[in-house]
Amino acid sequence: MSRTSEGLSVESVWRGGVSPFAVSWRKLMMWLFIITDGLLFAGLLAGYGFVRLASPQWPNRAEIFHLDFIALMTFILITSSATMATAVGAARQGRMQTAFRFVLLTILGGLGFLSCQAYEWSKLISEGARLSSNPWGVPLFSAAFFIITGFHGSHVLTGVIILSVVAGRALRQRITPEGVELAGLYWHFVDLVWVFIFTLFYLI
Amino acid sequence: MAQGHQVSSYRIYWIVWSILLIVTVGMMFLGTTALTTALVLVLVAGMLLKASLIGGYFMHLRFERASLIVIVAVGILATAGILFFLIAPDGLRVLNSSSWGDLHVGGGR
Repeated sequence: MSRTSEGLSVESVWRGGVSPFAVSWRKLMMWLFIITDGLLFAGLLAGYGFVRLASPQWPNRAEIFHLDFIALMTFILITSSATMATAVGAARQGRMQTAFRFVLLTILGGLGFLSCQAYEWSKLISEGARLSSNPWGVPLFSAAFFIITGFHGSHVLTGVIILSVVAGRALRQRITPEGVELAGLYWHFVDLVWVFIFTLFYLI
Repeated sequence: MAQGHQVSSYRIYWIVWSILLIVTVGMMFLGTTALTTALVLVLVAGMLLKASLIGGYFMHLRFERASLIVIVAVGILATAGILFFLIAPDGLRVLNSSSWGDLHVGGGR
């Protein structure tokens, strides 16, 4: 009989019971939120894919964006995810000071990413890109760019705010390890979404 | 992750971080070359590998019960698959077979 990492039989995993997912209600609610939010981005990226396929031509991203700069943004976000995972690990071990330091590093990463995005947006806007028009001949290109990266950026900003609250509470020893973990789940989700945007919008 | 599961070391997170960086650099390199169908498939595979690592290790999904993994994976991947492979082609069919072709998306393939 196959068993899960918790040593439970497969039958007992699928039987349901009092806690069918073996997580607290807070964590389950965060997962459900992540699923629904993931569907939002799935819809946006599917819409982008549709527009892309329906357009006979599409601007060459390498001529518009500096891919090295986008790679830097990706590096910042991936690194901030690693620092956040470390913060969650430290919080689980009861090392709240360490968790606090790594949450601060994660916030710095988030702010760095937002700064890069603000620079990228400013550059494109200064070149004439708008929500409904742009100099590259395909109006929906800039619409897709601003909407998808804008939604993602708003999630990063929200994450930075949430992590700031977590850091403040960790400093005053007023947060549980689960509180840090839930904030971490959200932050990793933001990183996860960027993996898809980076590949589907900038590389392909 | 299982309640009370303790992570004795942070080393695994930084190993995953290293793999993510290596894959990202590789994808960047490939992304600057002329795109072919095979290359697009490689890039999508790299994207899914990175997503799996983030979900599995950073979000600890690998250590969760199978029931939670299934609702997350099926919830997102199945819906995204339906959007990409069923609705988008149907949208293209409608676009190409009606006056909607006047839309500013270019008239379809």
